Amino acid sequence: MSVLVLVGTRKGLFLLESDGDRRDWSLAGPFLTGWAVFHAVIDPRDRALHAATNNDVYGATVHRSSDRGETWARAEELGLPEDTGLSLEKTWHVEPGRPGEDGRLWLGAAPGALFRTDDGGSTWQPVDGIVRHETRHRWHPGAGGMCCHSIALDPDEPARMYVGISAAGVFRSDDGGETFVPANRGTAADFLPDPSPELGQCVHKLLVHPARPERLWQQNHCGVYRSDDRGESWERLDGNGLPSGFGFPLALDHRDPDAAFVVPEESAENRLTPNRRLGVYRTRDLGGSWELLTEGLPEPAFGAVMREGFASDRLDPAGVYLGTQSGSLFVSPDAGETWLEAASQLPPILSVEASAWS
Amino acid sequence: MVLVLLPSLLATEAGGRNRFELDASSVGDALRALPVANLVLDERGVLRPLVNVYVDGVDARDRDGLDTSLTGAEEIRLVAAIAGG
Repeated sequence: MSVLVLVGTRKGLFLLESDGDRRDWSLAGPFLTGWAVFHAVIDPRDRALHAATNNDVYGATVHRSSDRGETWARAEELGLPEDTGLSLEKTWHVEPGRPGEDGRLWLGAAPGALFRTDDGGSTWQPVDGIVRHETRHRWHPGAGGMCCHSIALDPDEPARMYVGISAAGVFRSDDGGETFVPANRGTAADFLPDPSPELGQCVHKLLVHPARPERLWQQNHCGVYRSDDRGESWERLDGNGLPSGFGFPLALDHRDPDAAFVVPEESAENRLTPNRRLGVYRTRDLGGSWELLTEGLPEPAFGAVMREGFASDRLDPAGVYLGTQSGSLFVSPDAGETWLEAASQLPPILSVEASAWS
Repeated sequence: MVLVLLPSLLATEAGGRNRFELDASSVGDALRALPVANLVLDERGVLRPLVNVYVDGVDARDRDGLDTSLTGAEEIRLVAAIAGG
């Protein structure tokens, strides 16, 4: 069994590798030096690496590697149509297509943009259903820009997918990404005059549970939520053990649809770890209660975790991976019970993804 | 032939080459012929604001920008502006 963790940082990409025990890790990199890697992922279909890469001078793009980072190719065609009046600002998230959808990947970007490739990442076409969405004039950028940071594919229903955009909200497509409808009922937008609007919510991270795809989880600017009906309605889950509803990252346990992990921050105004500790909170009862997991995590600690800096693998028990802005990667090989520091002193970590195979 | 010199990140993206000799009648023609054209120019073909282009030591923005004409003997140096962190 091999486990590979992709750690995107402000200064390139690092790879950490271990066996199924996930206790001893080797570090390789940096790759893609000079690029801020907002997100990197392994395509499970062919094990190619894909990275959403940004540079202050040279703009936003996507890189891919078929030899585990030794060589990289860059997107040849990626941009927004002139008649939209939009220009590509940042690339945020790469999501591989489903098994059988050869060559297809999705890319979330700012400002509020979704792209699709059908040639493995060489040319990317803007998805009109998002780029030209009829409600776009009501969307607003969050502090990180108007980023499309979450792309969740229903693993069972090829026509269904979801995106999360800050601060436009969650959108669902039931026709393969042609059209999207807002899916925010029950989520709050305390920063708007109408605190329960149709859209405009600041979703921070959205995930679909792979074993029960009608169930979605989201960490929002205004709370933690779960939906059991494909985003038709949402139930708020904080106030029952969580120190705060505010946070960015979110991870799931692939074996347990009733479980989720979050890393709250004190508040939107004070974005620090609560109670002077880096704490992971886990629910195993659908968000009915949350328990603090700290064994092996540092205290006091104030390391912020970005929205993409949290991931889980598909092993049993699930591994959970946490990267901090202060350059540490913490690994839990036992679904959050205990943690070890697999790497430290890396550049600020922006993203973490894990993949395992035998 | 004009000579185009690339800084290190662009050279990496160009497969390790930092010198290109090109036939080009304008600065824009020269930049569009590079394998890193989409890093130097945005999706509208506009020179990215933090990329500086010096034609024989003179900032192309102080001349005619991408329309600056070339005789074919110039040295074009691309330089990243001081930015970032």
